[in-house]
Amino acid sequence: MTDATHKSAFDAARGAGDTKKPSLIGRTLIYCGLVVVSFIMLYPLLWMVSSSLKPENEIFSTTSLIPQNFTLEAYRRGWNGLSVSFGWMFFNSLVISVLVVIGNLISCSMAAYAFTRLKFKGRGFWFALMLGTMMMPQHAVLIPQYLMFLKFGWVNTILPLVVPKFFAIDAFFIFLMVQFFRGIPRDLDEAAVMDGAGPLRIFLKIILPLSMPVLATAAVFSFIWTWDDFFAPLIYLNDIEKYTAQLGLRTFVDATAQSDWGALLAMSTLTVLPIFVLFVLFQRLLIEGIATTGMKR
Amino acid sequence: MTTLALNKIEKRYGATEVIRGVDLKIDSGEFIVFVGPSGCGKSTLLRMIAGLEPISGGELQIGGERVNHKAASERGIAMVFQSYALYPHMSVYKNMSFGLETAKMPTAEIDARVRQAAEILQITQLLDRKPKQLSGGQRQRVAIGRAIVRDPKIFLFDEPLSNLDAELRVQTRVEIAKLHADIGATMIYVTHDQVEAMTLADRIVVLRAGEIEQFGTPLEIYNKPANKFVAGFIGSPKMNFFDVTVTRQQAGTTTLGLAGTNIVVPKIDTTVDAKLCLGIRPEHITNDAKDGVALADLTVTHVEHLGGQTIVYGRMADGQSINVTLDGQRTVHPKDTLKVGATLDNCHFFDAAGQRLG
Repeated sequence: MTDATHKSAFDAARGAGDTKKPSLIGRTLIYCGLVVVSFIMLYPLLWMVSSSLKPENEIFSTTSLIPQNFTLEAYRRGWNGLSVSFGWMFFNSLVISVLVVIGNLISCSMAAYAFTRLKFKGRGFWFALMLGTMMMPQHAVLIPQYLMFLKFGWVNTILPLVVPKFFAIDAFFIFLMVQFFRGIPRDLDEAAVMDGAGPLRIFLKIILPLSMPVLATAAVFSFIWTWDDFFAPLIYLNDIEKYTAQLGLRTFVDATAQSDWGALLAMSTLTVLPIFVLFVLFQRLLIEGIATTGMKR
Repeated sequence: MTTLALNKIEKRYGATEVIRGVDLKIDSGEFIVFVGPSGCGKSTLLRMIAGLEPISGGELQIGGERVNHKAASERGIAMVFQSYALYPHMSVYKNMSFGLETAKMPTAEIDARVRQAAEILQITQLLDRKPKQLSGGQRQRVAIGRAIVRDPKIFLFDEPLSNLDAELRVQTRVEIAKLHADIGATMIYVTHDQVEAMTLADRIVVLRAGEIEQFGTPLEIYNKPANKFVAGFIGSPKMNFFDVTVTRQQAGTTTLGLAGTNIVVPKIDTTVDAKLCLGIRPEHITNDAKDGVALADLTVTHVEHLGGQTIVYGRMADGQSINVTLDGQRTVHPKDTLKVGATLDNCHFFDAAGQRLG
């Protein structure tokens, strides 16, 4: 029965496009328009990739996307040009991102389970408060947070970037999971209760296995946002050996001396690559995770 | 022997009373059906017995022991949900073994129990499948299998057939009855379908607004409904209710006025001019009344031919509507006038408050 409603909504959404087919000329115009707009949107990205393959003096002298003198020199310079190999920064980024993903998945799913399935005093209030934290600008809490971590002696370590994520601080992910968990029929919980399972067993054996789409979504977003983050590492990491890839990119641009644009663009291209691959691989899951509010049975 | 006893069981949500002091004693091995209109509290009552819903007042006993605060899994009860509630990510086998694994039963015994239950329900070939690969009827069996493996003292069914199509529903109904005969456990079955109630139950509990209206065997309830509500709820098509006025009280007889006709019946404990309700089931009204009482003539408004039966809808002289189910195929047309009557045994009398008289 749930299946049927799902299907019909889906069909309706898909069918809406081809109820009225425009003429051949109309379609050609539409596609031309779309191609032009797509190109405009993509141009900066394409420029970055092509410039990373050009010699330094060609980058700003031509707008052409095709390198006249193809070279991988910028990649070599970018990878080895700093006092620490760029590969090391990649590794730092990876460690932080993976830890954040793990922390978010564990803590946010537990918080979401509590908000959807456990009864406790002031549940509604705490949920609203939790959602309220999403509205709070990051900059408002930055200084108190920094001072706190300074007191802990955590500045210039990855701890401020990772440890808080194990305490369910990302309200967005909790919210996303709450929405998904709400769609899992309560009958399943009750059947498990009849089977003698307690809250923990229900969470681990019933809820989590059924929540793969939303967990994947949270994992991918969590990874991308941490990987892309420039601000937090900038605040908390001082030594170049601890830099993430994003901080590494910054070091190629120098306000006083010569900036190495070629190396910057080459490393930027490499930095985008993992995210791009991740997105392509998980695109279907992402959409499912966001779109699925109900459970398919 | 009583396996399950409810003493003044109550359920309140804040100030709203959902179950109002239900008393019930159920014998071991009985098949009990809770029936009533939606919102009557039958599912709530079942869930309280299951342990899924806390009990606000009164005492629930299983096997003589108070279990109000016992966890659901420790009450020796298994439940089949309306939605089946099969775990979608587990195979049929895992669905059935989950509860036993939770109870930390040895693997060999789990396997034996699951296979035996699968055999009983003829789902052995489905054990490796996931629920979404099963048909509605197969899912239903798995849900029952999940209950069987736990070897409960009491089975609870919450409208288990409502998701099946008509044909499968009849078939599964028969299978549940057979299952009950085979394993002999106490079963409590919730439904709003009176046919399921009549066919399955040893005894029926008719509920309305959180109270028991009547508790008895299907035929007791059909033949001697305790009040107007039960009379109207059980039986299809619905019982006819006629407004009658007591015109005369004599020794041994009471005369009732119905649409200008006088009906003389054995003495009813009432007063002259009292307004009563006369209930007669459509299948008990005939148009070839030799004995019994003659009712006012009816004017036919609509006829339904079912082949085996002919259902006649009509109105009496004073506008009261009347339904008659006649056996066989009859040539009756709208606007015809029909003389009808019924035997006294099949006449039910209710007072102004709806309670049965006599």
